[in-house]
Amino acid sequence: MNFKGTLPTLILEALEQEPSHGYRIALRIKERSQGVLDFKEGTLYPALHKLENEGLVQSYEGVEKGRPRRYYRITKSGRAMLAKDRAEWRQLSRAVTLLLGEA
Amino acid sequence: MTTELETWLRQASRRLSRDSAAQVRTEIQEHYESARDAAVIGGSTEEEANRLALTALGDARTANCQYRRVLLTSAEARLLREGNWEARAVCSRPGLKWSLLAIPVIVLFAAAAFFLTGALDTARVLLAGGIMMSLFLVPLFLPLYTSSRARVFRFVKWAALIAVLGLAFQWSWLFVACLWPVAWVEWRRISIRRKLPIAEWPKQLYL
Repeated sequence: MNFKGTLPTLILEALEQEPSHGYRIALRIKERSQGVLDFKEGTLYPALHKLENEGLVQSYEGVEKGRPRRYYRITKSGRAMLAKDRAEWRQLSRAVTLLLGEA
Repeated sequence: MTTELETWLRQASRRLSRDSAAQVRTEIQEHYESARDAAVIGGSTEEEANRLALTALGDARTANCQYRRVLLTSAEARLLREGNWEARAVCSRPGLKWSLLAIPVIVLFAAAAFFLTGALDTARVLLAGGIMMSLFLVPLFLPLYTSSRARVFRFVKWAALIAVLGLAFQWSWLFVACLWPVAWVEWRRISIRRKLPIAEWPKQLYL
């Protein structure tokens, strides 16, 4: 399932736990959604760059298993944006559940 | 690197600037290698692992489209590199700088003189020309180094530009023809402003 437009929020959520690199972010999203939320991994990096341009995440050089990697960490404004997105999502989800009815 | 990955990277980095393309190659290659290693550890053959890692990346053209929205394209990088040559040329020669700044002042005085003699049409065109020249020459010497000052300046510049061109050409097709190149450069600058952090803006992005 690919929920259009939710990828930046999912990235912020993954980075809220700990700083990470692109591949691990993709894995975490898939694992935590139990494989339901799927997206093409080539589109993860443009989303990360967008978040970086907006000052919601910061990137830095790191090393993993001897390989240089670009790591990303969430910023203060990123956390604020995530909190706002969470609140909006809860509201939307409640409204849709009311309309469609609980299973 | 496999030929398929090379093809994918070439498509995904199409029309991006050299630096952006290098960035795309590095991050996608890192990602691909991690995905391939994970597949091999998971029991896939080398060939199967390569295929799985490439499939997970998705469509290269879609990625390219998204990359072009967030990273500098080759045309934007060229605009940043070459678009400020006139400012550099003017600022490096103090004599030329003051001569150029004198031109709009002379034109504005000439407009006043024509107005006083009753040649209203000539005065109107000269006034428009003088203000236009001031709009393009004076900002190079203004202390526009913060985004809020730059925003105020751009608002004033566009309001003055539209008013002046309207005054000079009476809102005819010439008005649109004159505004088009300026609007085009401004549109490119808006796109670049979104892609570059403010700390990396050259002076031309503030104007």
